[in-house]
Amino acid sequence: MSRFRDLLSVAWTGLTARKVRTLLIMLGPIVGVAAMVGAVGLTESAKGDLKEKLAKLGTNLIIAQAGGTFGSQNPTFPSDAVHRVEAISTVTSAAATTNLSSVIALPTQGGSDYYQSFPVPVRAADLDLPSVLQVPMIDGRWLNAADSRLHTASVVLGAGLAKQYGYLPGEIRTVILGSENFGVVGVLGSVALDPDLDNAVFITQWAAKHDFATDGNPNQLYIRSTTGTTQATADAVPTAINLGGPDQVSTKVPSDVLQAASQADKTLQQTALFAGLLALAVGGLGIANVMSISVIQRSSEIGIRRAVGHSRSKIGSQFLLESLFVGILGGILGAAVGVGVVYLVSAFAHWVVVINYRKIPIWMALALVVSVGAGLYPSIKAARLEPLETLRLG
Amino acid sequence: MSSEAQPLLELVDVSRVYGDEIEVYALREVSLSIFPGDFMSIVGPSGSGKSTMLGLLGVLDLPTSGTIRIAGQDVSALDDARRSRLRGDSIGFVFQQFHLIPHLTALGNVETALLYRDMRPRERHERAFAALDQLGLAKRADHRPVQMSGGEQQRVALARAIVTDPLMILADEPTGALDSVNAAHVLEIFKGLESPERAVVMVTHDPTVAATARRKITMRDGQIVADETLAAVQ
Repeated sequence: MSRFRDLLSVAWTGLTARKVRTLLIMLGPIVGVAAMVGAVGLTESAKGDLKEKLAKLGTNLIIAQAGGTFGSQNPTFPSDAVHRVEAISTVTSAAATTNLSSVIALPTQGGSDYYQSFPVPVRAADLDLPSVLQVPMIDGRWLNAADSRLHTASVVLGAGLAKQYGYLPGEIRTVILGSENFGVVGVLGSVALDPDLDNAVFITQWAAKHDFATDGNPNQLYIRSTTGTTQATADAVPTAINLGGPDQVSTKVPSDVLQAASQADKTLQQTALFAGLLALAVGGLGIANVMSISVIQRSSEIGIRRAVGHSRSKIGSQFLLESLFVGILGGILGAAVGVGVVYLVSAFAHWVVVINYRKIPIWMALALVVSVGAGLYPSIKAARLEPLETLRLG
Repeated sequence: MSSEAQPLLELVDVSRVYGDEIEVYALREVSLSIFPGDFMSIVGPSGSGKSTMLGLLGVLDLPTSGTIRIAGQDVSALDDARRSRLRGDSIGFVFQQFHLIPHLTALGNVETALLYRDMRPRERHERAFAALDQLGLAKRADHRPVQMSGGEQQRVALARAIVTDPLMILADEPTGALDSVNAAHVLEIFKGLESPERAVVMVTHDPTVAATARRKITMRDGQIVADETLAAVQ
């Protein structure tokens, strides 16, 4: 054990005695690892904002749309569709909305013609819709049980619509639905996973049934599943709703599009990774080269060590350990430089930093293998050196 | 010289041949015994085989034919690790060009001879420092070779040679690179190294150095032509 410690200290002294040379040969693994960490970090971070958004929105939202037979107007789900969907074991929550396509919403008295040509969608929504969507209120409150029970004429505006109307927070505004005045009680935040909702006016299911005489059957369901089961749940939804009847349900997972967009450019990433590997390989050649020269320069040291009783294997191990240290330190420094570059570039480009720290040890290990591999030949050369030739006796 | 004692190092019909197709005999069937207490010089003109002899005595080289035994052990029968251990344990080298490792301090250079011996770093420091102190270099322990004079460097090399308490000190022109004052100083130290348990062998062509010794081996054309015992010197 103490012999190994001796070996470590001899190798370490050999490196620290020639700092510039050591730094130069360490550049290989440093540049290689930094390039690989940077390549992956930068390509991932370029899409970091989308990834962050995705993480916030969740990837487990399913939207089910009533499909209806061909040509039928306003297809709907059965009235207990939410209960049927909630019976699926992987569904954590669900809420329904109903399109009231016959109701015209007029935010102002004057714009009647315009809003008849470009109608604002009116939706009857379940009271727990915001919690299923995981979208906060920008202003005011969502529709609640009191609105249903007391038949208050309340509406909530979508975020986009509120902006279009010029609705000010806390302002007392009314919206004319059909011929009735409804008071605005709140503004729902922007729904990134279903932008259609941003332009809608929301009323309670009770108002839909009683004020506008609809059957109250929903046409959209918003469903959250447990993590990892989203697609399977989406596949099970049509069956759950129709109970084996004709398939008139289309489902989609809206985060899929966002997820695809958030993927880093793989071709670019692989090209950059390959460049990093190349840098590492060239760095390895550099190590082999410089160490070979170093063995010649240090031939007198090797001869002296042999004369005082160090065996060939000790000499070889000494040089191999030097290249091992170069690999370890180069890998660590390279990883630090790579991470630093990702942070620096991201700061300038206003990216969200994404670094997969689990991959870094793999590249560091690679740098280590390359360094030790490159040190192998010089080490064998050092071990084979004849002391008699290097000591110049006589 | 005590001929009845067991030889410390023994050469029996040793030849060393260089070259494959054209054979050049650097040493031809040489036999020599070195005993504990010997204080000898090996002299001879260039090309007489002195350097080859030094390599063989120091176990840095192996004979082409014949046997070399150190303390009864046939060196050709050992693998490199054991031979290196034997060399480190029983022989202390002193070279003409000092041969100190430039990036190590005086202490570090002396410690080099004590590495890989299952020794605690502290004990190694102490022993190396004691050897330097013995040669009057305690104040130079932290200096690197370039910061020292030739005489000091050679004394560091001497400290490195004696720190392992070897059976034999093998010197190659130990004063060859020194001015006369330093050379005289180093020779004095060599005389002080004489001991009944130890052999001191100096390879030289300097008559002053040769005259210091009690036994003088003269070589010519790869053979020993004379083995004389000199009058004791003071």
